[in-house]
Amino acid sequence: MVDTGLVNALAQGVVTGSIIAAGALGLSLVYSIAEVPNFAHGDMLTVGAYLALALNNPGELPFVPNAVAVPFAVAAVGGVVVAGVFGGVYEKAVFSRFRDRDADLITMVIVSLGLALFLRNLVLFLAGSANVTYETVTRVDTNVDVYATGSGVGVELTKRIGGDIATLDAWGYGWLTVLAVLAVAVAAGVAVYRWRSADTGYERVHFVSPRVLAVATTLVVGAAAAAVARGGAVSTANPLYSTRVGVSWKYGAILGVMLATMLCMNYVLKRTKTGRAMRATADDQALARVRGVDIDRVQLVVWVLAAVLAAIAGVLLGWYASNLNPNMGFNLLLPVFAAVIVGGIDSPYGAALGGLMIGLSMDVGAYLLPAEFATYRTAIAFVILVAVLLVKPEGLWGDA
Amino acid sequence: MALADFLVSLLTVVSVYTLFGLGLNIKYGFTGLVDFGHVLYFLTGAYVTVVVTLPAAATSYEGIGGFALPQLLSGVPLGGLLAWFAALAVAMVVAALLSLLVGVPTLRLREDYLAITALGIATILHTVVNDERWLFNGPFGVRDVHQPLTGAFPVSLGSFIVNLAVFGLVSVLVLAYVGYRVGGYVYGVDVRAAALSTVAAVLVVAGLGVATLGGSLVLAGVVVVAVGVAVLARSIRQADGYGQPVALFTALVFAAWYFGTPLVTTGPSGTLASAVWLFDPTAGANGGITYGRFVLLVSAAFVGISYWWCERTVNSPYGRVLRSIREDEDVPEALGKETFRYKVQSMMFGSALAAAAGGLWATHIAFIDPTQFTANITFFAFTAVIIGGAANNRGVVVGTFVFWTLHTGTRFLNDYFPTEYATQLAALRVMLIGALLMVILYYRSEGLLGEQTYDTGVAADGGGHSE
Repeated sequence: MVDTGLVNALAQGVVTGSIIAAGALGLSLVYSIAEVPNFAHGDMLTVGAYLALALNNPGELPFVPNAVAVPFAVAAVGGVVVAGVFGGVYEKAVFSRFRDRDADLITMVIVSLGLALFLRNLVLFLAGSANVTYETVTRVDTNVDVYATGSGVGVELTKRIGGDIATLDAWGYGWLTVLAVLAVAVAAGVAVYRWRSADTGYERVHFVSPRVLAVATTLVVGAAAAAVARGGAVSTANPLYSTRVGVSWKYGAILGVMLATMLCMNYVLKRTKTGRAMRATADDQALARVRGVDIDRVQLVVWVLAAVLAAIAGVLLGWYASNLNPNMGFNLLLPVFAAVIVGGIDSPYGAALGGLMIGLSMDVGAYLLPAEFATYRTAIAFVILVAVLLVKPEGLWGDA
Repeated sequence: MALADFLVSLLTVVSVYTLFGLGLNIKYGFTGLVDFGHVLYFLTGAYVTVVVTLPAAATSYEGIGGFALPQLLSGVPLGGLLAWFAALAVAMVVAALLSLLVGVPTLRLREDYLAITALGIATILHTVVNDERWLFNGPFGVRDVHQPLTGAFPVSLGSFIVNLAVFGLVSVLVLAYVGYRVGGYVYGVDVRAAALSTVAAVLVVAGLGVATLGGSLVLAGVVVVAVGVAVLARSIRQADGYGQPVALFTALVFAAWYFGTPLVTTGPSGTLASAVWLFDPTAGANGGITYGRFVLLVSAAFVGISYWWCERTVNSPYGRVLRSIREDEDVPEALGKETFRYKVQSMMFGSALAAAAGGLWATHIAFIDPTQFTANITFFAFTAVIIGGAANNRGVVVGTFVFWTLHTGTRFLNDYFPTEYATQLAALRVMLIGALLMVILYYRSEGLLGEQTYDTGVAADGGGHSE
């Protein structure tokens, strides 16, 4: 029997982290461009998740007519779109009015708190406090068991079918092959970094930063090389070390959606006129206005984008945890804020990285700590937040 | 339950939360610190007070303590009361030190960092208190709360008539004083506005009365109430200001509810029982003053002392520094004030007041568990302070009173709906609180009373040095 271990916690952490990253990206946009420390952001996650639920599984909601019930994927897209409209409503009905009155930061904090109370209890009012789930296909779980033995590394794909664990596939690598695969991957990464960063200059904006591209290349080339170099099964009778990683197409789907979302956001921010206007507004609102940027339009776009990102995070969170409740978003507010502050509030990329980091630390920390500390996952995010505030208050990747 | 008991209970809650709000006002109103974790010090105050005075081997309690201070001081005269005061003092010190720990890493940074960090630490410590049974008994809470002098109650001065005369006189005097103050405030309002307000009050009371008869009359009652509110709106327009007509309207509705309802249900004796609210005829053989009323008096005394102390603080040069930090931290910094130190002290002072409120709350409610200390309590206090007017100590009293009267008063709506909708109604209430917070900040960000005026020792026309 193989147990799950650190690697499994890391894999879970990447999934959690990418969900937090989506939330943090939206919050960071609102923070830096609309200049609102938005305490309602967690509840915007909840609203998005429940909007998708209303389309997917309305039977769970007492006050919603039980008319439409569409597949989860369609409902998720529908929920996210409606949440985007809600984002526009928040801006037009609440925040633009306060901005027109030059409300200060503290007022904005309390206004967003009022919105948070309103949204959370609206969900509670309409949906009740019960834990509910999406109506989805039953998930298929596969385990990847990795064994390190004297002769090399063995990999087995196993799956629980009808109570028994069946081995689907097994293969292995000699130690030399492992080293070669690693070397190829790292070399590819370094090469890509050298190539992309060669023309770095003041006026050059990389679509994807060379470092991110290098890491991505390393991962892709490593996976490809591992697939090519795959050898016969290794005897796994007496492993030096063995670990199990639970994977599911659900995790893959969440990561895929997140990756696509990040690339889209990257495109919007770097390659569109609106994105440039947004970044200009974040830098200096007065200057941007003088240069003809329509601030009101930029703010509207920011709030819609933030609501859309929050809704994506909310839907995926509800799907990942197989559980929705009116406090789900508020419970994630602290990790999301921690991610934004750790990343530096002016940097959307920092926020995304910070989200990944917070998610990883929460899951790995929960794995390393004794089982009775499992309820303190959020506390780990908080400790990181305070540590960063004490040491480097401008954030790890911020330049403020 | 007689209306007087309800009023006493409501006023005790209002007193406790006023104390809590005064603490928040020091932090948020006067110094500009957005402490979203204010409830943490309320929790600390309640638990520390209870645990210090808890008997050593309390049944079904598995947390640390109790430290049995009342038993330790049982030889001293009034030992129970002394122990309670000592416990309260310990609680205030512990809360102040805790806020020091929260404040030091965050108070040097921008105000929004304090908001999120304070909210975070309050949430996490709430989880700790809720999950760790070895600490304060976890979700099971603490029974056996020490209530000082509880054995001495109900206090009776002799025969029924003597009790009625003495306590009744005090009660009537208090009511008369309140009436006098309200009358003095309303006096001189436009006559037509006063008439409209009176009509509005009559309509609202009549509408509510009709609605309680049930059936299709509920709808008729609601319509009449709506007409009453419309008339009130006219009255406000007529009077050119909302203060006096609303005060008149509220006083009339209160009088109709408090004195009129018992007249209808139990007759003149009911009205008399309402008027002598401090006297409980059912307590003991000859009637007397109950423990609940004593706790109200103690809480009111605490509010009085704290109010006086807060006023002293904000009117002193020290208070001026706090306000200048709120307005622009660079200015006092440039004048050589160590603003960080002032901010930390403001945090500690406000937290100590919150801890005192927590100790009183535990004494009032006699049973504490973590569900009483959720983050919503902080948000309610923010709403109350903003309703009354931030940076106004009197505003805290008014705002807390208005807030908790509305919050408690709307509970009667629960009777009209099936019990399975209780969660829905509670959610609706908090939803409206959130909306109210945004509406007040937009339309009247200075609250009902606005920022208070300060006694700066300089005349208002004294060469432009006025505030």
